[in-house]
Amino acid sequence: MTKISDITIIDDDAIMVFGLRKLISCTVDCNSIISYGNGLLAYDGIKKKLEQKAPIPQIIFLDINMPIMDGWEFLEAFIKLPISDKIRINIVTSSIDPFDKQQWEFYKNKSHHLITFNQKPIDRNTIEEITKIL
Amino acid sequence: MLKIPQTSNTSYIISQLPTPTAFIDTDYNILLTSNKWKSIFSTNNQSYTSQSLFKVFPHLSPKWKMVLQNCFEGNPQPMGIHKANNINEEELWFEWSNAPWYDSDENIIGAIIQLNDITDSINNELELRKKDLLLQQQAEITKIGRWEYDLKDNNLTWCTTTKAIHEVPPHFIPNIENALFYYKEGHSRNAISMALFEAQDNGKAWSNLKLQITTANGNEKWVMSSGKPVYSKGDLVGLVGTFQDIHDQVEADIKSLNNEKLLRTLIDNLPVNVYIKDTESRKILVNKAECEFLGVDNPEDILGKSDFELYPEESAIKSREEDLMVMNTLKPVLSKETINIKLDGKETSFLSSKIPLLNDKGIAYGLVGISLDISKLKEKESELRNIINIASIQNKKLLNFAHIVSHNLRSHSANFSMLLNFLESEHDDEEKVRIIGMLSEASNNLLDTLDNLNDVISINTHTNIEKQKINLCDKVINVNQNLISYLFNNNASIKNNIPSNFIVKSVPSYLDNILTNFITNSVKYKDPSRKPLITLSAIKKNNYSILTIADNGLGIDLEKHGKKLFGMYKTFHEHKDAKGIGLYITKNQIDAMNGKVEVTSEVGKGTEFKIFFNDKD
Repeated sequence: MTKISDITIIDDDAIMVFGLRKLISCTVDCNSIISYGNGLLAYDGIKKKLEQKAPIPQIIFLDINMPIMDGWEFLEAFIKLPISDKIRINIVTSSIDPFDKQQWEFYKNKSHHLITFNQKPIDRNTIEEITKIL
Repeated sequence: MLKIPQTSNTSYIISQLPTPTAFIDTDYNILLTSNKWKSIFSTNNQSYTSQSLFKVFPHLSPKWKMVLQNCFEGNPQPMGIHKANNINEEELWFEWSNAPWYDSDENIIGAIIQLNDITDSINNELELRKKDLLLQQQAEITKIGRWEYDLKDNNLTWCTTTKAIHEVPPHFIPNIENALFYYKEGHSRNAISMALFEAQDNGKAWSNLKLQITTANGNEKWVMSSGKPVYSKGDLVGLVGTFQDIHDQVEADIKSLNNEKLLRTLIDNLPVNVYIKDTESRKILVNKAECEFLGVDNPEDILGKSDFELYPEESAIKSREEDLMVMNTLKPVLSKETINIKLDGKETSFLSSKIPLLNDKGIAYGLVGISLDISKLKEKESELRNIINIASIQNKKLLNFAHIVSHNLRSHSANFSMLLNFLESEHDDEEKVRIIGMLSEASNNLLDTLDNLNDVISINTHTNIEKQKINLCDKVINVNQNLISYLFNNNASIKNNIPSNFIVKSVPSYLDNILTNFITNSVKYKDPSRKPLITLSAIKKNNYSILTIADNGLGIDLEKHGKKLFGMYKTFHEHKDAKGIGLYITKNQIDAMNGKVEVTSEVGKGTEFKIFFNDKD
C-alpha cells in the first residue's frame, strides 16, 4: 500500500464523499482524508494551510458541478497558489459534456500538477491507479 | 490622144466637187482628186495622181479590188465603212461609195470614188454603245431595271435586269397585261394599275412604289416601281420607268423591325427593372417594371428625367457618381445590393447592375441598368435568420438540458452502484444499516431530480399555453398572502408599488411561480445584518410590461456568476436551501412566454431583477 500523507475530497454530494472515503481507506494508507463541500471552502482551507506552513494534500479528488465555486473555478484559483510540489488532482465527474473535457485539456497543459479526468462510478481499481504518486 | 485634153478640161470642174472624190483608172491608179480629197489626204497640195489607190491606202481590204472590178464592168457595189488617217494623223471614218466612170463614148474608163465623212456619227454611236453598256452594268449592280412602254404600238420592253427580277428568260416578250399579272393580287396589283391609269389619263408620274410581285418561278419579291409619261410634240406617246429589286432591304427592314419588337416585348415583360441612361444620366428608355416601380403609367413621364428629379438628392448624387464611374472606367457594376429610397420615402432592396453602352469608337454613350427587386427575398432572409437564431438557441438549450439530465442521472446511478458494491462486501451490520440509509437517501435525491426535470420539460413542451390578462397588483397581494408566515418568520416586508390597474399577459401558474420564486429568493439570500425589504414596481415600455423586484439582500457578483445565474443547479451562496433549480425554472417560464429577465446587483447592497412580460404575443 502506498503511503500518502494527506488526501482532500472536494464534492458537494455527501454520498459520493462517503463512498470515496471508504474506497480510499481500503486501498491507500494515508494520514488524513479531509473533505470540502464546494470549491471555495477547499480553496480557503488549502490557502490557510499554506500560510501556516502546514502540510498540504498530495492528492485531491475534485468534483466539477458544485455550488458557489465549481471545480474549474477552483482549479483556476488553485494553480495560482505558490505550490512547487507536483500535486495529483483527480477530477471525478458524471458529466459527458465535451466542454468539460476541453477544460481538462486546457488546465492539464497550463499547470505543472498532474491532472486526470475520471468518470463516475469509480471502483477500487481506479482508486488504486489514481492514488499512485510518482 | 483625145483623152488628155478632155480630162484636163474636166479636171477643173472635178477639183471643185464638194465631197472628197477621186477618179481612178482601171488599174486603180488615182488620176484626179477633188480639192476636198486633197485637203484631207495630201500634205502639200501635191496630188498623188498616178499612184495606186491601194498604195495610198495600204489598209484597204483587197476585196475591194473585186468590188472595183465589178464597178469597171458597170456593176457598182457598196464598199462600206473604212477608217483612214488624214494629214494631221487624225483617225476619220468614211463611208466609201463608187460609181463607173464613163467617157463621152459611154465607155467605162475607171471608177469614181466618193467618201462621206461619218466620223461624228460613228463616234456618237460608240458613245451610245458605251452608255448602253454602262447603263446595263449599273442596272446589274444596283438591280435597277428599266422598262419602256410605247403607247402607239402597245409595245412593252424590259431590260435584262427587269427580266432577271421577274425571273423570266431573256427572250421573254412582255406586254402590259402579263406585266401587271406578275404583281401580287390585292394591294400590289391595285396600286400599280392605279398608277398606270393615272399616268395615261392625267399624265402623273409615280415613284418609289413599294410593291410585291410573284416571279415566273413563283418567288415572292419586294420591288420598287417608278414610271413617268413621255410626250412628243405635246402628245402622250408612252411611259418609261425603273424597276428595282428591294427584296433584301425590305426583308432586312422587316426583320430588324421584328427584332426590335421582340426586344421591346422582352424588355417590357422582364420581371426586373430595366432602363437606359444617356451620359447625363437621363433616362432614355424604361421598361414597364421600371414605370410601375416609379408609379407612372406612361414611360414619357420618366423619359428625359435624371435621378435628381426621381429620387431624393442624396441617393441621386450617389447614383450619378456610380453612373460616371461606370461610363468612365467602362467597368460594369454587377449584382450589387443596393437600397433604393424613393421620393415618398419607400425603401426597396435591389440587386442592381449597370453596364456601359459603347459606341463604335469604344466610348460610353450611356449605360443600361438592370435592377431586381429583392425586398421580399431580404425579408424572408431576415425571417429565416431569425428562425435559425431561435433554433440554434433552442438547440443549445436542449443540448445543455440533455447534459444536465445525463449528468444528474449518472451521478445518482454512480452512487447507487457504489453503495451496492459496498453493501455486497460489507460484513459489519451497523455499517450495512448506514449504507442502506444512504441508498434510500440517494433514491429520494433521484426522485427529486426527476421531479425537477419534469417541471422543466413541462414548461418547454407546453409553449402554447394560453396567456391571460392578469391584474399584477392583485396577484402580488395574493402571493403575499400565501407567503405570509414565511415572510413573518424571516422578519421580511414587501412594498408593493405596482399601480392597482396594471395588467400583464401571462400564464397564471407561471406568474404565481415567478413571483413566489423571486420573493423567496430575495428572502433566502437576505443580508443577516438588516431586515429584508422587497420592493415591487411596474411600468409599460415598448410593448413590454416590466416588473421590477428589488431587494436589500446579499447581492451577487455578476462578473463572476452572471453567466451561470439562471443555469440549472447553480448556486452562488453557501446556503443550506440553495438548490439551483428555482431561477432555472423561472427563466424557462419567462422564455416560454416570449419575455426576458435582466438583473443588476451589487455584493452587500442587494439585487434587482427586471422581468419583461411581452404584451404583444
